[in-house]
Formats: sequence, structure tokens, C-alpha cells
Amino acid sequence: MTARKDLLVPPGRPARVARRRGHSLTSQDRRLGHALVAPVMIVLLAITAYPLFYNIWNSFHYADYLNAATFSSFAGFSNYSMLFHADQFVPALVRTLGFTAVSVAVETAVGLGIALALNRPFRGRGVVRAAVFIPLAVPTVVSAELWKTMFDPQSGFVNYILAHLHLPLASTAWLDGTWTAWAAILAADAWRNTPFMAIVLLAGLQVIPQDIYEAAKIDGASAGQAFRRLTLPLLMPALMVALIFRTLSSFLIFDVVFIMTGGGPGTSTQVLSALNYEAFLDDFNFGYGGAIAVAMVVMALIIAAIYVRVLRVERQT
Amino acid sequence: MHMWPARSSLRTVAAIAAGGLVAVGLAACSSLSSSASSQVPLSAKQTIAFASAGLGTEGTATKAAIAGFEELHPNITVSLLSLSSNATVAEEQEEHYFIAGSSTPDVMFTDVIWPSAFARSGWIANLDSFKPSTSEFFPAQMVTGEYNGSVYAIPWFINAEGIYYNTSIIKTPPTTEAQLVSDAQHALATDKSLKEGLAFEGAEYEGSVTAWQSFGANIGLSSLSNIDNPANAAALTFMYDAIHTYKISPPAVTGWEEANVQAAWLSGQTPFALNWPYLFQLSQSTANGKPVYPAVYNSTAWMPFPSSTPQSSLGGQDLAINAKSTHKAAAWAFIQYLTSVSAQDARAITAGDPPSVTAAYNATLYSAAPYYKDETAVYKVLTPRPVTPVYPDISSSVFQPMISSVLSGQESPSAALSSNAATVTQTLATVK
Amino acid sequence: MSATDAVAARSRADVRPRRHLRPGRAARKTGFFLLLALFVLVSLFPFYWIVITSLKTTAEYNQGTTSVLPPSHVTMSNYVDDLTQQNFIRALLNSVGVSLATTILTVLLAALAGYALSRTSIRGKGGILGFILLTAFFPPLAIVGPMFIAYKHIGLLNTLPGLVICYLVLTLPLATWLLTNYFLQIPKELEEAAIVDGSTRVQALHKVIVPVARPAMFTVAILSFILAWNDFTFAVSFISTPNNYTAPLAIYNLGNSQYQVFYNLIDAAVVIISLPVACLVIFAQKRVISGLTAGSFR
Repeated sequence: MTARKDLLVPPGRPARVARRRGHSLTSQDRRLGHALVAPVMIVLLAITAYPLFYNIWNSFHYADYLNAATFSSFAGFSNYSMLFHADQFVPALVRTLGFTAVSVAVETAVGLGIALALNRPFRGRGVVRAAVFIPLAVPTVVSAELWKTMFDPQSGFVNYILAHLHLPLASTAWLDGTWTAWAAILAADAWRNTPFMAIVLLAGLQVIPQDIYEAAKIDGASAGQAFRRLTLPLLMPALMVALIFRTLSSFLIFDVVFIMTGGGPGTSTQVLSALNYEAFLDDFNFGYGGAIAVAMVVMALIIAAIYVRVLRVERQT
Repeated sequence: MHMWPARSSLRTVAAIAAGGLVAVGLAACSSLSSSASSQVPLSAKQTIAFASAGLGTEGTATKAAIAGFEELHPNITVSLLSLSSNATVAEEQEEHYFIAGSSTPDVMFTDVIWPSAFARSGWIANLDSFKPSTSEFFPAQMVTGEYNGSVYAIPWFINAEGIYYNTSIIKTPPTTEAQLVSDAQHALATDKSLKEGLAFEGAEYEGSVTAWQSFGANIGLSSLSNIDNPANAAALTFMYDAIHTYKISPPAVTGWEEANVQAAWLSGQTPFALNWPYLFQLSQSTANGKPVYPAVYNSTAWMPFPSSTPQSSLGGQDLAINAKSTHKAAAWAFIQYLTSVSAQDARAITAGDPPSVTAAYNATLYSAAPYYKDETAVYKVLTPRPVTPVYPDISSSVFQPMISSVLSGQESPSAALSSNAATVTQTLATVK
Repeated sequence: MSATDAVAARSRADVRPRRHLRPGRAARKTGFFLLLALFVLVSLFPFYWIVITSLKTTAEYNQGTTSVLPPSHVTMSNYVDDLTQQNFIRALLNSVGVSLATTILTVLLAALAGYALSRTSIRGKGGILGFILLTAFFPPLAIVGPMFIAYKHIGLLNTLPGLVICYLVLTLPLATWLLTNYFLQIPKELEEAAIVDGSTRVQALHKVIVPVARPAMFTVAILSFILAWNDFTFAVSFISTPNNYTAPLAIYNLGNSQYQVFYNLIDAAVVIISLPVACLVIFAQKRVISGLTAGSFR
């Protein structure tokens, strides 16, 4: 692509580029690229450099305010090994991963369905669009409290509806049992975040020109085949971004769980972020808290890398 | 091809890296603790910052107190740093200032369970040099401000947890636990408009620990080395039985905090409710000459829970001075003003915060707010939670999950207590 | 002639009228509408709940009864109370300002970066994208503390511009990734045509790429706005005077005193603050589904 770029310059126009070494079109291109990407990099680096450094440094040192004697001394990996001995981290990790997998799967499936539905023109589409995206307007904290009320066993709406429709589980004390508590948390999370998936996937669907579907129909493809062979591959970039960021948010989930169950019953809904919170706020141990944070980031990056690897490969085939 | 990256891209990369390093360097070297600056004398013109909840009736009372103080000390201005009215959020906010090594705020409020942890972390100042008169406060609360034999925080206002009972339903207050249970069951059976027999806080948060203590748990500092004791088991068993055996409390209480118990009480749906003093004021509130909550108006009474040794969990707020403050003299003067009888009474009447100074329970207070007279029975049995720097840790990682798992039936009380006893002892050992 | 041209030509020649619906199709259409109705219901119902709570008096709210029906005594007093609260309108305006600034800056910066990452030959794109992700993956709780320290020393504490910068850290990663991937899908021919006609690269970005990428740009705008608008964690840590409160802080504070939480007041405030967001979503949504017709790729 770069080799014959000079052909783009029509004859008669003065050459815009000198062809001295270091000033070819490629390096000009690169300079432009650097200049354009610099603002984002500078903003992100300037603000997050210190927090990143702070947490990483803390995780390798003793930073327990309740133990001034060892404060600031080098700790090697002992904060990290505490993660595996403390008997809270691994269960919380398993729970968080499990919840992330389920919530992302559910929200992606439903979000994709909504996006596909909203992609076709129909009467009243504007109203439906607005209605479906309303949950995004409600702050997370408010929505969590709201759903907690909805799941109240006596006066909550969920049991009320279940009883009226004569469905089972109508007298469950939702937040009292492990699996039912997770179901409640999932409902609250999905309500708030499915519109996010829908919005991103809808934008992704907009790239796809409609006439390829016409061509596919003429060729006799069914709707399912058209979806798998045409829509999905073309949607992949948007899908990948949506998946990465939704997974990230799910992995970091905190408010919803804290408000609805406080980690209960017992510790059965305790998520990783809650451990982080406890380390900072109750234990005053910033070394351990830093280690938890770094561990969470590393895991999140691994998950993101997996997505990129798998989905890029999919795209190429 | 090009061996050497273009100068401009090198420049960009260098700029970015430099920017990052500058940011790190700035923050890192500034966070090295500033040298102990000299203290500003009391008579000098100065401004001190007071961190407290700044909105609502509490905010109004605080602003009135500030105005009163500034009149007495015209050379001192107090600026209010508005913290969240939620204690957990406020703690986070205060912690930010401490971690940053900030010299402001000069005076801050603390919940009664924070001072020993803050003191051990070196964040709040030792007040012994000011010779505080510790006897003017309720002893149970004075203890919460002490660490390692010195005073680090002064009680500001008190809170206590007790059983409210509706005198129009419960004619004679129960004197034993069994009697309370049968009273509640009887009330539920005869009056169909009642939804609960006993409303209490069972959600997984600090309030469940105070509830546990108010129901009779023995978690004083000396008992922490063996939490597997009969009193603790009895209290846990009662909480479990109330829901599952006696059926006087709905399963929903495992998600209830004060606001839910308050709603149940004020609507008259329950004859018994465990809550703090603010509910008394609320029950007696009127608007346009009419009671706002007719179900409980003039039929509210309050007593300690009738376990074998009744006790009432202590709550409330203390006042502390920032260890890095350069205005300690003025800060101390402000604290003294806030704990003077007149300021205490004013706050009690406006914001409903019960005074921490025993002398403030006087005629002025009773004439403006008569319900305070009815609260004394509960204050007599005030019991603080263990005053140790690791209490927040023990509470959040042991007590709260334990109570929650017992209430939801995941563990029996005795099993829960025995399996957690070792953890508590270990944690305590880290601050010997 | 491009592939799509060929396809389009064929389809125009071969079009068949499809006036009547076959039975299977009718059933699917009804199913479609039923499903849509379900989505709308589930989306709106909790919001309906918020609205009816906001119409209750405090006394009635304290009754604790929850029912699906609107309260018997509908009152607007919560709305009046909220709006006349000293700082609420101020907080709303603060939020609008902060969120708009964040949105505009995000769209601008992310578009530039997205262009660079998708259309120029800079090296280390993977590394850059990875670094951007890294900044997004740190748990907010872990970075609030050190950010507080950094802000204190730079003097950005308790300022609204400080909040904007902080929100950029939240919005830029997603925005950059979204736009990068979106731009990658736009054919290079579009841009090259503009360059042949004499524009610079940046002009091509502005005149050609951006209009074509409108759905993605507006998606990024919506998501950034909402993220900045709804944030509580950072605002509560950095803002310490009521004059500088943003809407979520104000809502939280007007409904909370030490033990009591007045959801009737809070929900009225939620309804009030969700109005700008709802307007924004409706306005921007039209442009997200502005319909990229096949023609724009020709």
C-alpha cells in the first residue's frame, strides 16, 4: 500500500513530499499517527501513571497502616502469597468469574436480540428505542436498591408477579439463599447493562450494508445462514469491543452486590472488588489491597487477550 | 528501509514518557511527609476545617454550633468540609485525606469504632496534652476514644440500640426474652393488621453486629479471645429462632437495615422494633398540629432487650484532631465548644442527637424534648463494641458474614462461633 | 465496479414483489412484536416503580407498603422539595457541564486516536491498545485513593475540570477501542478518493470518515455522557463542597440522613435527572440508526 503512494499525486501538482530519507510518506504517515494518538495517551498516562505505580509499588511492599513497624519495607511476593493463603481470594475469584461468564452470556444474547430487532424499521421504533435504553439513565446505586426492594419476599414485586401467574418460587426469600441471591443480582445487573450491549451492537450493525442480505436471499440463504455467515463476521469488531468491556465491568462488579446482599448470605456472594474494598477500608492494608488490584488487572488483561485472539482468528477464517 | 525511527515519533514517545514520569515524580515527592510545621497559637487569626455531615438537620445544627463558636472566638473561622451522611462513605472520604498526608481537615467526626484504628495508624492526634475531662462523658463512650492509655477522641453524641414497643398493643413491657416472644406471637395472632412481631436489622452490615450485641452478645474486648461463649450463642440463636422458630420476624429481615425497621415501626405494623433513639423523635413528630405517624404517636416506649443481662449496643460519634494539623489549639477549643452543655442541648433538640455529656440531660433538654426522659433506661446499660484497632477488620470479615450465614440457616450458631473463634484470636494477636 | 455494485445491480433487476405474508411469516412477525413488548415492559417497569415512589409523601413512604398501583395520594411535593433544595439545580447544572465536556473531549480525542490506530502505519498498535485497556481495568476503588493524592498536589481537588479529566480516564478506553474497530471496517477507498481530490489526511477524517461513522460517534457520545453523568465513586471522593456537587452526590445527600433513606425524595430526583439523559438518548439514537444505506459505500 505504501509503495506506490506517490501515484496518488496527480501529475502537474507539486509533490507534497520531499523524498529525503526520514521524510518519506511512510514516516510522514507515522508522524501523523503519533500526533493523533498522543492526546489520548498523554491524558491516560498523566492521570493513571501515579495510581498504577502506587498500587504496583504497594503490592510489593508492606503498607499496613496498623503495623507501622514494617511500613514501607520491601515485601517481595508476600502480599501475593497472602492472596492464596487467606482463603478468601480464590473462592471470590471463582464466584466472580462464574458470575461474569453467566451475566456476559445473558446480556450479550439479549442485547444482540434487541439490536437486531431495532435494526429493522417498524412503526413505533423510536419509542421502543427510547424505552429500551431508559435503564441507562438510572444511576447504578438507585437501580440496585430498587431491585433489592423488588426481590423483597413479602412486599416485593417479583414474588407478587410469580404468585399471580401461579409460577413456582413465589415465596422464595431471594436474598437468603446463595443461588437465588445470585439470580437476583443477575437480574439487577442485566436490567442495567443489556442496553449497553444493545447500543454498541446496534452501532456495529449499522456498518453492514443492507444489500448483501438481498443478495443472500436471492442466493437462497435462510435467515439463520445469513446471520451466521454475513452478520456475525461483520459484527465481530463491535462484538469484540462490547464483550471485552462488558466482561471487564462484570469482573469489577461491586455496587450492585454490596447494596443487595452485602456479600451474603455469609460470604456466598462476596466478589473480588469487595475484598479490595475490605482491604482498604477495614484492614487499612494497602499492600494487600494493592496486590488484589494488580491481580485483578492481570486477570482482566488475560481475559481480554483471549477474546482478541479467539475473535480475530474467527474473523480471518 | 528506515533504521532510525523518525525524530518526531521519538519526540512523541519521549514526551509521553516524560509526562508520565513528571506525574509520578510530582506526586511521589510531594507525598513525602512535610516536616512538622509549627503550631498556630490559639489567639492568632486562623481558619480551621471541620469535616462532618453538612446537610439536613444535622448540617443545620452543625452550622449553628459553628456560628456560636465563632462568636466566642472572633479570630477563628471554621469552614465546614461536607462529608457524606453515610458513615461508610464518610470513612472513605476521611481516609483519602489521611493517606494523602493532608493537614486538613483539622477536626473531624468519627464513628465510635474508628478512633483506635485511626490512632494506631498515626492519623489522629494524642489529646492527653489538653487534659480532657473524661468524667463528664458516659464511660462506655469515653472508652471508645482511648488507645494505648491515651485519649485520642472525645465523645460528641451518643446512640444506643433498644427495643421499641407500641404501648397501645403491648400493655405491660416484657421482662424476659420468652415473654417478649409470647407477647409478639400473641399480638400477631390477635391483630391481623400486624405484619411482624419483632423488626430488627439482619442485613450483612455493621448494624447486624450491633443488633447481635443488643440481643445479648458478649463481645467486649476481654471476651474476644473466646467468642464461643454462651451469651453469644444465645443471642445468635434468638435471632435465628425469631425468624424460623417463633416466626415473629419475617425472613426479609436478613436484608433489613435501620430504614426498613423504621418503616415497619412507623406504619404500626409491628409491636416490637430494635432501633436507635432517632426513631423516638420521629415517632413523636407532628406537622400542623397533627401527628405524622398516628400509629405510634404517644404510644412509643423504649427499653433494653430483656435478655438475662440486658445491654444496649453503643453507637454515636466522637471528635478527633488530625495528627498533621497545624491548628491544634484552635481545634481543641472547637471540640470543647461542641461538648459544652449548651451546644449539646441545642444539637439534641434540633437534630435529635442524644448528648454524650451526662450533665446535658437537664431541665432545658427535657422541656424541649420530653422523650429524652424515657430514654434513660436504655442508656444505663450502654455497652461499646470492642475498642481495638482491628475491630473493623473482625467485624467485616468474621462477625458480619457469620451472623448472615446463621440467619439464613447456612450454619448453626455453635458451629459458626467455634469455627470463627480462632480467626478472631489470630487477628487480635496482630496488634498486641 | 465493486462487489457491492454488482450485487446491487443484480438485486435491482431481480426484485420480486412481496405483498402477501405467508402464514409462517405472520406468526414470526407476531412473535417479534411480542418479544419486543416484553423487552419494553421489562425495561420500563422498574422505572415506573421509581415514578410511583416519587409521588408518595414521606409519611406514606415510611408506611413501607409496596404495591404496583400508584399511591392513593399522589403528591408532587417531593419534586418541589428537591428542586427548591439549595444545591440541587446547581448540582444538575454541574453535571450537565461536566458530562458535556467529557463527551465532547472523548469523542474528539478518541476519533483522532481511532483514526491513527486504524489508518496509519504507526508501530506498536497492539501495545498502545493494550495499554489503553490496562488503564481501564484497574478497579476504581484502587485508583481513587492515589488519584486523590495526585489531584491534591496538582490542585485539582474539589474542581469540576478535575472531574472531567478523571472521567476521560473512564471513557477514553472504550471510546478509542470502539472507534478504532469501527474505522477499520470503513473501506479505504473512501478516504483515498478524498485525498486524490486534494484534502489532507485530517480533512479527510473530518469530511469523509466522521460522517460515515456517525452511528459509532453517537454511540460513543451517549455512553460517555451516561458514564460521566452517573458516576458517584469519583465524585464523592474528589468533591467536598456542596456548590460543586454533581447530580448523583446531590441525590444521595438529599435523601440520606444518618439512618434514614428517603426513597421518595431520591426517586423524584432520579426522575428529574433522567430527563436530560433520556432526551440525549432519544436525540442521539436517531443518528445511531440514521441508516447507513448501501449508497454511502459507493
